[in-house]
Amino acid sequence: MRAFLSKAIAFVMRDFRIESGYKAAFIMGLVESLMLLVTLHFIGRLVPVHASASLGKYGRGYFPFALIGVAFARYFDLMLRMFSDSIRTAQVTGCLEAMLSSRTGAVTVVTLSSLYSLISGALQLVMILVGGVLLFGVNLSTMNVPATLLVLLLSISIFVGFGVLSASAIVWLKKGDPITWVLGGMSAILGGAYFPIDVMPAWMQKLSYVIPIRYSLEALRSTMLGGANIVTVARPLATLLAIAVILSPVSAALFTAAVRKGRREGTLVQY
Amino acid sequence: MKSTNEPTIGQSRRVAVISDAMTGIDPMVVQDLSGRVTTPDQLGEPSIISLCDVTMRFPIPKRYREWALHPLRPGRVVTALQHASAEIQAGDRIAVMGPSGAGKTTLLKLISGLLFPTEGEVTVKGLSTVHHNAAARKSVGFVFNEERSFYWRLTGIQNLEFFGALDNLEGAQLKQRIRELIRLVGLESAGDQLVSGYSSGMKQRLALARVLIADPEVLILDEPTRALDPVACDEMVNLILTDIHRGARKTLLIATHRPEEAAILCSKLMVIHGGFIKGSVNLSSLSNEGTTLLDYYRRCVTAEKPA
Repeated sequence: MRAFLSKAIAFVMRDFRIESGYKAAFIMGLVESLMLLVTLHFIGRLVPVHASASLGKYGRGYFPFALIGVAFARYFDLMLRMFSDSIRTAQVTGCLEAMLSSRTGAVTVVTLSSLYSLISGALQLVMILVGGVLLFGVNLSTMNVPATLLVLLLSISIFVGFGVLSASAIVWLKKGDPITWVLGGMSAILGGAYFPIDVMPAWMQKLSYVIPIRYSLEALRSTMLGGANIVTVARPLATLLAIAVILSPVSAALFTAAVRKGRREGTLVQY
Repeated sequence: MKSTNEPTIGQSRRVAVISDAMTGIDPMVVQDLSGRVTTPDQLGEPSIISLCDVTMRFPIPKRYREWALHPLRPGRVVTALQHASAEIQAGDRIAVMGPSGAGKTTLLKLISGLLFPTEGEVTVKGLSTVHHNAAARKSVGFVFNEERSFYWRLTGIQNLEFFGALDNLEGAQLKQRIRELIRLVGLESAGDQLVSGYSSGMKQRLALARVLIADPEVLILDEPTRALDPVACDEMVNLILTDIHRGARKTLLIATHRPEEAAILCSKLMVIHGGFIKGSVNLSSLSNEGTTLLDYYRRCVTAEKPA
Protein backbone atom coordinates (compact mmCIF):
# COMPACT_ATOMS: atom_id res chain seq x y z
CA MET A 1 0.00 0.00 0.00
CA ARG A 2 2.85 2.34 0.88
CA ALA A 3 4.56 1.61 -2.42
CA PHE A 4 1.30 2.30 -4.27
CA LEU A 5 0.90 5.64 -2.48
CA SER A 6 4.49 6.50 -3.24
CA LYS A 7 3.86 5.80 -6.92
CA ALA A 8 0.63 7.80 -6.84
CA ILE A 9 2.52 10.79 -5.44
CA ALA A 10 5.22 10.36 -8.10
CA PHE A 11 2.61 10.46 -10.88
CA VAL A 12 0.87 13.51 -9.42
CA MET A 13 4.20 15.30 -8.94
CA ARG A 14 5.23 14.46 -12.50
CA ASP A 15 2.08 15.90 -13.99
CA PHE A 16 2.02 18.88 -11.65
CA ARG A 17 5.60 19.77 -12.58
CA ILE A 18 4.81 19.45 -16.28
CA GLU A 19 1.49 21.28 -16.13
CA SER A 20 2.80 24.09 -13.93
CA GLY A 21 5.13 24.93 -16.80
CA TYR A 22 2.10 25.79 -18.94
CA LYS A 23 0.96 28.90 -17.07
CA ALA A 24 -1.13 30.27 -19.93
CA ALA A 25 -3.17 27.07 -20.06
CA PHE A 26 -3.91 27.35 -16.34
CA ILE A 27 -5.09 30.95 -16.66
CA MET A 28 -7.16 30.11 -19.72
CA GLY A 29 -8.80 27.29 -17.77
CA LEU A 30 -9.84 29.75 -15.07
CA VAL A 31 -11.18 32.24 -17.60
CA GLU A 32 -13.06 29.49 -19.43
CA SER A 33 -14.76 28.42 -16.19
CA LEU A 34 -15.81 32.02 -15.57
CA MET A 35 -17.12 32.37 -19.11
CA LEU A 36 -19.14 29.20 -18.70
CA LEU A 37 -20.73 30.59 -15.54
CA VAL A 38 -21.59 33.89 -17.23
CA THR A 39 -23.07 32.09 -20.26
CA LEU A 40 -25.26 29.85 -18.13
CA HIS A 41 -26.32 32.82 -16.02
CA PHE A 42 -27.62 34.77 -19.01
CA ILE A 43 -29.30 31.72 -20.54
CA GLY A 44 -30.91 31.26 -17.13
CA ARG A 45 -32.41 34.73 -17.38
CA LEU A 46 -34.19 33.72 -20.56
CA VAL A 47 -35.63 30.49 -19.18
CA PRO A 48 -38.60 30.84 -16.83
CA VAL A 49 -38.70 28.61 -13.76
CA HIS A 50 -41.95 27.00 -14.91
CA ALA A 51 -40.52 26.06 -18.32
CA SER A 52 -40.16 22.50 -17.14
CA ALA A 53 -41.24 20.37 -14.22
CA SER A 54 -37.60 19.61 -13.44
CA LEU A 55 -36.73 23.28 -13.18
CA GLY A 56 -39.67 23.98 -10.94
CA LYS A 57 -38.88 20.97 -8.76
CA TYR A 58 -36.29 22.83 -6.72
CA GLY A 59 -37.77 26.27 -7.29
CA ARG A 60 -34.39 27.74 -8.20
CA GLY A 61 -34.65 28.23 -11.96
CA TYR A 62 -32.38 27.30 -14.82
CA PHE A 63 -29.01 28.58 -13.60
CA PRO A 64 -28.59 26.30 -10.53
CA PHE A 65 -29.99 23.41 -12.58
CA ALA A 66 -27.48 23.94 -15.38
CA LEU A 67 -24.64 24.78 -13.00
CA ILE A 68 -24.86 21.38 -11.32
CA GLY A 69 -25.49 19.59 -14.60
CA VAL A 70 -22.74 21.18 -16.67
CA ALA A 71 -20.09 21.26 -13.92
CA PHE A 72 -20.47 17.56 -13.12
CA ALA A 73 -21.01 16.53 -16.76
CA ARG A 74 -17.67 18.14 -17.59
CA TYR A 75 -16.02 16.32 -14.71
CA PHE A 76 -17.48 12.97 -15.74
CA ASP A 77 -16.55 13.61 -19.35
CA LEU A 78 -12.97 14.23 -18.21
CA MET A 79 -12.99 10.83 -16.50
CA LEU A 80 -14.20 9.25 -19.68
CA ARG A 81 -11.25 10.62 -21.60
CA MET A 82 -8.42 10.84 -19.08
CA PHE A 83 -7.20 7.25 -19.28
CA SER A 84 -7.14 7.10 -23.05
CA ASP A 85 -5.61 10.59 -23.16
CA SER A 86 -2.86 9.58 -20.74
CA ILE A 87 -2.07 6.46 -22.80
CA ARG A 88 -1.98 8.42 -25.99
CA THR A 89 0.21 11.13 -24.45
CA ALA A 90 2.59 8.46 -23.14
CA GLN A 91 2.67 6.83 -26.59
CA VAL A 92 3.37 10.13 -28.32
CA THR A 93 6.03 11.24 -25.82
CA GLY A 94 7.66 7.81 -26.08
CA CYS A 95 7.44 7.24 -22.33
CA LEU A 96 4.89 4.42 -22.36
CA GLU A 97 7.42 1.73 -23.16
CA ALA A 98 9.79 3.06 -20.51
CA MET A 99 7.01 2.96 -17.92
CA LEU A 100 5.90 -0.51 -18.98
CA SER A 101 9.42 -1.83 -18.68
CA SER A 102 9.53 -0.73 -15.05
CA ARG A 103 8.47 -2.83 -12.09
CA THR A 104 4.99 -1.35 -12.15
CA GLY A 105 2.18 -3.14 -13.96
CA ALA A 106 0.38 -1.69 -16.97
CA VAL A 107 -2.96 -1.29 -15.19
CA THR A 108 -1.33 0.63 -12.33
CA VAL A 109 0.61 2.80 -14.77
CA VAL A 110 -2.52 3.79 -16.66
CA THR A 111 -4.64 4.25 -13.55
CA LEU A 112 -2.10 6.45 -11.82
CA SER A 113 -1.32 8.37 -14.98
CA SER A 114 -4.83 9.78 -14.76
CA LEU A 115 -4.70 10.74 -11.10
CA TYR A 116 -3.59 14.30 -11.69
CA SER A 117 -6.41 14.85 -14.18
CA LEU A 118 -8.86 13.53 -11.61
CA ILE A 119 -7.56 15.91 -8.95
CA SER A 120 -7.23 18.97 -11.17
CA GLY A 121 -10.68 18.26 -12.64
CA ALA A 122 -12.10 18.09 -9.12
CA LEU A 123 -10.52 21.45 -8.30
CA GLN A 124 -12.02 22.96 -11.44
CA LEU A 125 -15.39 21.49 -10.50
CA VAL A 126 -15.16 23.05 -7.04
CA MET A 127 -14.11 26.38 -8.56
CA ILE A 128 -17.12 26.41 -10.87
CA LEU A 129 -19.49 25.57 -8.01
CA VAL A 130 -17.91 28.15 -5.70
CA GLY A 131 -18.02 30.72 -8.52
CA GLY A 132 -21.73 29.95 -8.99
CA VAL A 133 -22.36 30.48 -5.29
CA LEU A 134 -20.20 33.58 -4.77
CA LEU A 135 -20.70 35.41 -8.07
CA PHE A 136 -24.24 34.43 -9.01
CA GLY A 137 -25.82 33.67 -5.65
CA VAL A 138 -26.66 29.99 -6.07
CA ASN A 139 -27.85 28.69 -2.73
CA LEU A 140 -26.34 25.35 -1.79
CA SER A 141 -26.99 25.72 1.94
CA THR A 142 -29.53 22.90 1.92
CA MET A 143 -27.10 20.44 0.34
CA ASN A 144 -27.00 17.01 1.96
CA VAL A 145 -23.23 16.53 1.99
CA PRO A 146 -23.00 12.77 2.84
CA ALA A 147 -25.58 11.84 0.21
CA THR A 148 -23.87 14.07 -2.35
CA LEU A 149 -20.50 12.50 -1.65
CA LEU A 150 -21.97 9.01 -1.93
CA VAL A 151 -23.56 9.81 -5.30
CA LEU A 152 -20.32 11.41 -6.45
CA LEU A 153 -18.26 8.42 -5.36
CA LEU A 154 -20.49 5.97 -7.20
CA SER A 155 -20.58 8.19 -10.27
CA ILE A 156 -16.79 8.49 -10.27
CA SER A 157 -16.41 4.72 -10.06
CA ILE A 158 -18.74 4.34 -13.05
CA PHE A 159 -17.07 6.93 -15.23
CA VAL A 160 -13.63 5.67 -14.26
CA GLY A 161 -14.88 2.27 -15.42
CA PHE A 162 -16.01 3.71 -18.74
CA GLY A 163 -12.72 5.59 -18.93
CA VAL A 164 -10.81 2.34 -18.57
CA LEU A 165 -13.02 0.82 -21.27
CA SER A 166 -12.16 3.78 -23.45
CA ALA A 167 -8.46 3.23 -22.73
CA SER A 168 -8.87 -0.40 -23.79
CA ALA A 169 -10.35 0.82 -27.05
CA ILE A 170 -7.39 3.16 -27.59
CA VAL A 171 -4.92 0.35 -26.93
CA TRP A 172 -6.89 -1.80 -29.35
CA LEU A 173 -7.79 0.69 -32.08
CA LYS A 174 -5.12 3.41 -31.56
CA LYS A 175 -7.43 6.20 -32.64
CA GLY A 176 -11.17 6.62 -32.78
CA ASP A 177 -12.46 5.47 -29.43
CA PRO A 178 -16.11 4.38 -29.80
CA ILE A 179 -16.77 4.39 -26.04
CA THR A 180 -16.11 8.10 -25.64
CA TRP A 181 -17.79 8.83 -28.94
CA VAL A 182 -21.03 7.06 -28.04
CA LEU A 183 -21.19 7.76 -24.32
CA GLY A 184 -19.78 11.28 -24.47
CA GLY A 185 -21.99 12.28 -27.37
CA MET A 186 -25.13 10.66 -26.00
CA SER A 187 -24.56 12.09 -22.54
CA ALA A 188 -24.38 15.63 -23.88
CA ILE A 189 -27.78 15.26 -25.55
CA LEU A 190 -29.64 12.76 -23.41
CA GLY A 191 -27.96 13.13 -20.01
CA GLY A 192 -29.84 16.22 -18.92
CA ALA A 193 -26.82 18.40 -18.24
CA TYR A 194 -27.88 21.51 -20.18
CA PHE A 195 -31.63 21.06 -20.26
CA PRO A 196 -34.18 18.97 -18.38
CA ILE A 197 -34.93 15.56 -19.80
CA ASP A 198 -38.67 16.22 -19.64
CA VAL A 199 -38.49 18.82 -22.42
CA MET A 200 -37.40 16.12 -24.88
CA PRO A 201 -39.83 13.95 -26.90
CA ALA A 202 -41.04 10.82 -25.13
CA TRP A 203 -38.88 8.46 -27.20
CA MET A 204 -35.76 10.44 -26.33
CA GLN A 205 -36.70 10.43 -22.67
CA LYS A 206 -36.94 6.64 -22.83
CA LEU A 207 -33.57 6.46 -24.51
CA SER A 208 -32.03 8.53 -21.74
CA TYR A 209 -32.61 5.70 -19.27
CA VAL A 210 -29.60 3.89 -20.74
CA ILE A 211 -27.33 6.88 -20.15
CA PRO A 212 -25.62 6.57 -16.74
CA ILE A 213 -25.06 10.30 -16.33
CA ARG A 214 -28.82 10.78 -16.19
CA TYR A 215 -28.93 8.99 -12.83
CA SER A 216 -25.87 10.82 -11.52
CA LEU A 217 -27.18 14.28 -12.37
CA GLU A 218 -30.67 13.47 -11.16
CA ALA A 219 -29.31 12.32 -7.80
CA LEU A 220 -26.78 15.17 -7.51
CA ARG A 221 -29.40 17.84 -8.16
CA SER A 222 -31.67 16.24 -5.61
CA THR A 223 -29.02 16.12 -2.90
CA MET A 224 -27.36 19.47 -3.68
CA LEU A 225 -30.34 21.64 -4.53
CA GLY A 226 -33.17 19.78 -2.83
CA GLY A 227 -31.27 18.53 0.23
CA ALA A 228 -32.44 14.96 -0.45
CA ASN A 229 -31.06 12.20 1.74
CA ILE A 230 -29.80 8.79 0.73
CA VAL A 231 -33.22 7.18 1.06
CA THR A 232 -34.83 9.75 -1.20
CA VAL A 233 -32.28 9.12 -3.96
CA ALA A 234 -32.21 5.36 -3.37
CA ARG A 235 -33.47 4.58 -6.87
CA PRO A 236 -30.81 6.37 -8.92
CA LEU A 237 -28.24 5.28 -6.33
CA ALA A 238 -29.21 1.63 -6.76
CA THR A 239 -28.93 1.99 -10.54
CA LEU A 240 -25.50 3.60 -10.23
CA LEU A 241 -24.38 0.88 -7.82
CA ALA A 242 -25.53 -1.88 -10.17
CA ILE A 243 -23.66 -0.30 -13.08
CA ALA A 244 -20.53 0.14 -10.95
CA VAL A 245 -20.58 -3.47 -9.74
CA ILE A 246 -20.80 -4.81 -13.28
CA LEU A 247 -18.58 -2.28 -14.99
CA SER A 248 -15.52 -2.21 -12.72
CA PRO A 249 -14.38 -5.83 -13.14
CA VAL A 250 -15.42 -5.92 -16.80
CA SER A 251 -13.44 -2.80 -17.67
CA ALA A 252 -10.36 -3.98 -15.73
CA ALA A 253 -10.51 -7.38 -17.46
CA LEU A 254 -10.92 -5.83 -20.90
CA PHE A 255 -8.05 -3.42 -20.34
CA THR A 256 -5.79 -6.25 -19.21
CA ALA A 257 -6.80 -8.22 -22.31
CA ALA A 258 -6.11 -5.21 -24.54
CA VAL A 259 -2.65 -4.76 -23.01
CA ARG A 260 -1.90 -8.47 -23.48
CA LYS A 261 -3.02 -8.23 -27.09
CA GLY A 262 -0.83 -5.17 -27.54
CA ARG A 263 2.17 -7.00 -26.10
CA ARG A 264 1.50 -10.03 -28.25
CA GLU A 265 1.10 -8.03 -31.44
CA GLY A 266 3.69 -5.40 -30.63
CA THR A 267 1.19 -2.61 -31.02
CA LEU A 268 1.16 -1.35 -27.45
CA VAL A 269 3.35 1.64 -28.09
CA GLN A 270 2.07 2.37 -31.58
CA TYR A 271 -0.20 5.32 -32.13
CA MET B 1 26.94 -32.55 -29.79
CA LYS B 2 28.48 -30.51 -32.47
CA SER B 3 30.57 -27.62 -31.42
CA THR B 4 31.62 -25.20 -34.05
CA ASN B 5 32.26 -21.59 -34.75
CA GLU B 6 31.08 -21.96 -38.26
CA PRO B 7 27.59 -20.65 -38.59
CA THR B 8 25.19 -23.12 -39.99
CA ILE B 9 22.84 -21.36 -42.27
CA GLY B 10 19.41 -22.29 -43.34
CA GLN B 11 18.37 -24.22 -40.28
CA SER B 12 14.94 -23.28 -39.14
CA ARG B 13 15.56 -24.31 -35.56
CA ARG B 14 18.70 -23.95 -33.61
CA VAL B 15 19.86 -23.44 -30.11
CA ALA B 16 22.71 -21.19 -29.27
CA VAL B 17 24.29 -22.04 -26.00
CA ILE B 18 26.61 -19.38 -24.88
CA SER B 19 28.42 -19.94 -21.69
CA ASP B 20 31.65 -19.10 -20.07
CA ALA B 21 31.15 -16.29 -17.69
CA MET B 22 30.34 -18.41 -14.70
CA THR B 23 32.62 -21.29 -15.29
CA GLY B 24 35.46 -19.77 -17.17
CA ILE B 25 35.06 -22.52 -19.72
CA ASP B 26 35.78 -21.23 -23.12
CA PRO B 27 33.45 -20.85 -25.86
CA MET B 28 30.89 -23.10 -26.71
CA VAL B 29 28.49 -22.75 -29.47
CA VAL B 30 26.12 -25.59 -29.81
CA GLN B 31 23.76 -25.54 -32.69
CA ASP B 32 21.05 -27.98 -33.07
CA LEU B 33 21.18 -29.62 -36.34
CA SER B 34 19.40 -32.89 -36.38
CA GLY B 35 17.17 -32.42 -33.44
CA ARG B 36 19.94 -33.08 -30.95
CA VAL B 37 20.25 -30.24 -28.54
CA THR B 38 22.59 -29.66 -25.67
CA THR B 39 21.47 -27.05 -23.22
CA PRO B 40 23.37 -25.48 -20.36
CA ASP B 41 21.15 -27.36 -17.95
CA GLN B 42 22.55 -30.55 -19.35
CA LEU B 43 25.95 -29.13 -18.75
CA GLY B 44 25.04 -28.24 -15.21
CA GLU B 45 24.90 -24.51 -15.80
CA PRO B 46 21.62 -22.78 -15.12
CA SER B 47 20.81 -20.06 -17.62
CA ILE B 48 19.45 -16.69 -16.62
CA ILE B 49 17.61 -16.20 -19.91
CA SER B 50 16.11 -18.93 -22.00
CA LEU B 51 14.41 -18.68 -25.36
CA CYS B 52 12.67 -21.82 -26.47
CA ASP B 53 11.59 -21.97 -30.10
CA VAL B 54 10.37 -18.38 -30.08
CA THR B 55 8.53 -16.93 -33.02
CA MET B 56 7.21 -13.38 -33.15
CA ARG B 57 4.75 -12.24 -35.76
CA PHE B 58 3.37 -8.75 -36.05
CA PRO B 59 0.00 -8.26 -37.75
CA ILE B 60 -0.14 -5.82 -40.64
CA PRO B 61 -3.31 -3.71 -40.48
CA LYS B 62 -5.67 -4.41 -43.34
CA ARG B 63 -6.11 -1.70 -45.92
CA TYR B 64 -9.54 -0.44 -46.89
CA ARG B 65 -9.18 -2.26 -50.22
CA GLU B 66 -8.47 -5.55 -48.43
CA TRP B 67 -11.41 -5.02 -46.10
CA ALA B 68 -13.66 -4.36 -49.06
CA LEU B 69 -12.47 -7.21 -51.29
CA HIS B 70 -11.70 -9.87 -48.67
CA PRO B 71 -13.46 -8.93 -45.45
CA LEU B 72 -13.18 -12.42 -43.96
CA ARG B 73 -9.65 -13.23 -45.03
CA PRO B 74 -7.20 -13.14 -42.14
CA GLY B 75 -4.87 -10.16 -42.15
CA ARG B 76 -1.26 -10.46 -43.23
CA VAL B 77 1.56 -10.74 -40.74
CA VAL B 78 5.23 -9.97 -40.77
CA THR B 79 7.45 -12.48 -39.03
CA ALA B 80 10.15 -10.66 -37.10
CA LEU B 81 11.70 -13.66 -35.36
CA GLN B 82 11.45 -17.34 -36.20
CA HIS B 83 12.07 -20.38 -34.07
CA ALA B 84 14.74 -18.69 -32.01
CA SER B 85 16.21 -20.68 -29.18
CA ALA B 86 19.05 -19.64 -26.94
CA GLU B 87 20.35 -20.03 -23.43
CA ILE B 88 22.17 -17.10 -21.89
CA GLN B 89 24.23 -17.45 -18.76
CA ALA B 90 24.52 -14.97 -15.91
CA GLY B 91 27.39 -12.57 -16.47
CA ASP B 92 27.48 -13.04 -20.23
CA ARG B 93 28.14 -10.02 -22.41
CA ILE B 94 26.47 -10.65 -25.72
CA ALA B 95 26.48 -8.44 -28.77
CA VAL B 96 23.38 -8.93 -30.88
CA MET B 97 24.19 -7.96 -34.43
CA GLY B 98 22.32 -8.06 -37.67
CA PRO B 99 21.12 -5.83 -40.48
CA SER B 100 18.37 -3.30 -39.81
CA GLY B 101 15.05 -5.09 -39.49
CA ALA B 102 16.73 -8.40 -38.74
CA GLY B 103 14.85 -8.90 -35.49
CA LYS B 104 17.37 -7.64 -32.92
CA THR B 105 15.07 -5.23 -31.12
CA THR B 106 12.23 -7.75 -31.24
CA LEU B 107 14.46 -10.34 -29.57
CA LEU B 108 15.50 -7.88 -26.87
CA LYS B 109 11.95 -6.72 -26.25
CA LEU B 110 10.80 -10.31 -25.93
CA ILE B 111 13.45 -10.92 -23.30
CA SER B 112 12.46 -7.76 -21.44
CA GLY B 113 8.79 -8.82 -21.41
CA LEU B 114 7.66 -5.82 -23.43
CA LEU B 115 6.49 -8.20 -26.13
CA PHE B 116 4.86 -11.57 -25.77
CA PRO B 117 5.96 -14.24 -28.25
CA THR B 118 3.48 -15.52 -30.79
CA GLU B 119 4.91 -19.00 -30.28
CA GLY B 120 7.45 -20.48 -27.92
CA GLU B 121 8.53 -19.29 -24.52
CA VAL B 122 10.94 -16.78 -23.06
CA THR B 123 11.97 -17.21 -19.46
CA VAL B 124 14.07 -14.99 -17.24
CA LYS B 125 15.42 -16.74 -14.16
CA GLY B 126 12.97 -19.53 -14.88
CA LEU B 127 9.97 -17.19 -14.99
CA SER B 128 7.88 -16.98 -18.14
CA THR B 129 7.69 -13.43 -19.47
CA VAL B 130 4.06 -14.09 -20.39
CA HIS B 131 2.73 -15.83 -17.32
CA HIS B 132 4.94 -14.12 -14.73
CA ASN B 133 5.55 -10.89 -16.59
CA ALA B 134 5.99 -8.61 -13.59
CA ALA B 135 8.27 -11.02 -11.75
CA ALA B 136 10.36 -11.71 -14.85
CA ARG B 137 10.72 -8.00 -15.60
CA LYS B 138 12.25 -7.41 -12.17
CA SER B 139 15.51 -8.90 -13.33
CA VAL B 140 15.72 -7.00 -16.59
CA GLY B 141 16.48 -3.37 -17.39
CA PHE B 142 16.00 -2.05 -20.91
CA VAL B 143 17.87 0.98 -22.25
CA PHE B 144 15.86 2.28 -25.17
CA ASN B 145 17.51 3.86 -28.16
CA GLU B 146 14.68 6.34 -28.39
CA GLU B 147 15.64 9.83 -27.35
CA ARG B 148 12.02 10.50 -26.65
CA SER B 149 11.51 8.21 -23.72
CA PHE B 150 11.84 11.00 -21.14
CA TYR B 151 9.67 13.87 -20.03
CA TRP B 152 11.40 16.78 -21.67
CA ARG B 153 9.78 19.37 -19.42
CA LEU B 154 11.22 17.70 -16.33
CA THR B 155 14.84 17.82 -15.23
CA GLY B 156 17.07 14.78 -15.42
CA ILE B 157 16.77 14.23 -11.68
CA GLN B 158 12.98 14.68 -11.73
CA ASN B 159 12.77 12.08 -14.48
CA LEU B 160 14.86 9.68 -12.42
CA GLU B 161 12.69 10.37 -9.35
CA PHE B 162 9.61 9.45 -11.33
CA PHE B 163 10.98 6.30 -12.94
CA GLY B 164 12.66 5.33 -9.66
CA ALA B 165 9.28 5.42 -7.94
CA LEU B 166 7.95 3.07 -10.63
CA ASP B 167 10.78 0.73 -9.71
CA ASN B 168 9.55 0.72 -6.11
CA LEU B 169 12.20 3.00 -4.67
CA GLU B 170 11.24 5.94 -2.48
CA GLY B 171 12.38 8.59 -0.08
CA ALA B 172 16.01 8.87 1.01
CA GLN B 173 16.94 5.56 -0.61
CA LEU B 174 15.78 6.80 -4.01
CA LYS B 175 17.50 10.17 -3.66
CA GLN B 176 20.75 8.50 -2.62
CA ARG B 177 20.54 6.10 -5.56
CA ILE B 178 19.90 8.96 -7.96
CA ARG B 179 22.90 10.88 -6.60
CA GLU B 180 25.12 7.84 -7.14
CA LEU B 181 23.86 7.21 -10.64
CA ILE B 182 23.99 10.81 -11.77
CA ARG B 183 27.62 10.81 -10.68
CA LEU B 184 28.24 7.44 -12.35
CA VAL B 185 26.94 8.59 -15.73
CA GLY B 186 28.64 11.96 -15.46
CA LEU B 187 25.57 14.16 -15.33
CA GLU B 188 26.25 15.88 -11.99
CA SER B 189 26.23 19.36 -13.49
CA ALA B 190 23.23 18.70 -15.73
CA GLY B 191 20.97 16.85 -13.30
CA ASP B 192 18.91 19.95 -12.56
CA GLN B 193 18.55 20.96 -16.19
CA LEU B 194 15.45 20.22 -18.23
CA VAL B 195 15.87 17.15 -20.42
CA SER B 196 14.80 19.25 -23.40
CA GLY B 197 18.23 20.87 -23.20
CA TYR B 198 20.13 17.59 -23.16
CA SER B 199 22.25 16.38 -26.05
CA SER B 200 21.72 12.89 -27.48
CA GLY B 201 24.67 11.60 -25.48
CA MET B 202 23.31 13.06 -22.26
CA LYS B 203 19.91 11.49 -22.88
CA GLN B 204 21.57 8.15 -23.50
CA ARG B 205 23.48 8.49 -20.23
CA LEU B 206 20.29 9.41 -18.45
CA ALA B 207 18.62 6.35 -19.97
CA LEU B 208 21.41 4.24 -18.57
CA ALA B 209 21.01 5.84 -15.16
CA ARG B 210 17.27 5.21 -15.29
CA VAL B 211 17.65 1.55 -15.94
CA LEU B 212 20.30 1.15 -13.25
CA ILE B 213 18.06 2.60 -10.54
CA ALA B 214 16.52 -0.79 -9.88
CA ASP B 215 19.89 -2.51 -10.23
CA PRO B 216 18.66 -5.25 -12.60
CA GLU B 217 20.73 -8.37 -13.13
CA VAL B 218 20.25 -8.25 -16.87
CA LEU B 219 20.95 -5.06 -18.77
CA ILE B 220 19.63 -4.77 -22.30
CA LEU B 221 20.93 -1.94 -24.43
CA ASP B 222 19.33 -1.36 -27.80
CA GLU B 223 21.90 0.39 -29.96
CA PRO B 224 23.21 2.56 -27.13
CA THR B 225 25.56 4.56 -29.34
CA ARG B 226 23.35 4.92 -32.39
CA ALA B 227 22.91 8.67 -32.28
CA LEU B 228 26.23 9.56 -30.69
CA ASP B 229 29.29 11.28 -32.10
CA PRO B 230 32.59 9.37 -31.87
CA VAL B 231 33.67 11.00 -28.60
CA ALA B 232 30.32 10.48 -26.91
CA CYS B 233 30.32 6.96 -28.31
CA ASP B 234 33.69 6.21 -26.69
CA GLU B 235 32.52 7.68 -23.42
CA MET B 236 29.42 5.53 -23.48
CA VAL B 237 31.40 2.38 -24.21
CA ASN B 238 33.81 3.15 -21.37
CA LEU B 239 30.94 3.85 -19.06
CA ILE B 240 29.28 0.54 -19.82
CA LEU B 241 32.46 -1.47 -19.68
CA THR B 242 34.39 0.17 -16.91
CA ASP B 243 31.82 1.48 -14.50
CA ILE B 244 28.84 -0.72 -15.05
CA HIS B 245 29.95 -4.18 -16.08
CA ARG B 246 33.22 -4.34 -14.16
CA GLY B 247 31.53 -3.06 -11.03
CA ALA B 248 28.51 -5.29 -11.02
CA ARG B 249 29.16 -8.18 -13.43
CA LYS B 250 25.76 -7.78 -14.98
CA THR B 251 24.51 -9.84 -17.86
CA LEU B 252 24.63 -7.56 -20.87
CA LEU B 253 22.79 -7.86 -24.15
CA ILE B 254 23.70 -5.13 -26.56
CA ALA B 255 22.19 -4.64 -29.97
CA THR B 256 24.69 -2.87 -32.15
CA HIS B 257 25.76 -2.29 -35.72
CA ARG B 258 29.37 -1.52 -34.78
CA PRO B 259 31.76 -4.48 -34.76
CA GLU B 260 34.37 -2.52 -32.80
CA GLU B 261 31.81 -1.77 -30.10
CA ALA B 262 30.83 -5.43 -29.95
CA ALA B 263 34.48 -6.45 -29.71
CA ILE B 264 35.19 -4.09 -26.83
CA LEU B 265 32.01 -4.53 -24.85
CA CYS B 266 31.13 -8.16 -25.36
CA SER B 267 32.55 -11.61 -25.01
CA LYS B 268 30.05 -13.24 -27.30
CA LEU B 269 28.27 -12.54 -30.51
CA MET B 270 24.85 -13.51 -31.72
CA VAL B 271 24.00 -12.77 -35.33
CA ILE B 272 20.40 -12.41 -36.42
CA HIS B 273 19.31 -12.15 -39.99
CA GLY B 274 15.86 -12.32 -41.51
CA GLY B 275 14.36 -13.25 -38.18
CA PHE B 276 16.64 -16.24 -37.66
CA ILE B 277 19.49 -16.60 -35.23
CA LYS B 278 22.14 -17.30 -37.81
CA GLY B 279 25.00 -17.91 -35.49
CA SER B 280 26.40 -17.53 -32.01
CA VAL B 281 30.01 -17.54 -31.10
CA ASN B 282 32.44 -16.73 -28.36
CA LEU B 283 34.66 -13.91 -29.52
CA SER B 284 37.83 -15.33 -27.99
CA SER B 285 37.40 -18.47 -30.07
CA LEU B 286 37.16 -16.36 -33.17
CA SER B 287 40.45 -14.67 -32.41
CA ASN B 288 42.03 -18.07 -31.68
CA GLU B 289 41.02 -19.14 -35.16
CA GLY B 290 42.22 -15.93 -36.67
CA THR B 291 38.75 -14.99 -37.81
CA THR B 292 37.55 -11.47 -37.31
CA LEU B 293 34.19 -10.63 -35.88
CA LEU B 294 33.28 -8.89 -39.11
CA ASP B 295 34.17 -11.97 -41.17
CA TYR B 296 31.99 -14.12 -38.99
CA TYR B 297 29.16 -11.61 -39.24
CA ARG B 298 29.49 -11.45 -43.01
CA ARG B 299 29.39 -15.22 -43.30
CA CYS B 300 26.25 -15.32 -41.24
CA VAL B 301 24.36 -12.69 -43.18
CA THR B 302 25.52 -13.47 -46.69
CA ALA B 303 25.84 -17.25 -46.83
CA GLU B 304 22.20 -17.69 -47.47
CA LYS B 305 19.47 -15.19 -47.95
CA PRO B 306 16.59 -15.76 -45.60
CA ALA B 307 13.44 -17.14 -47.10
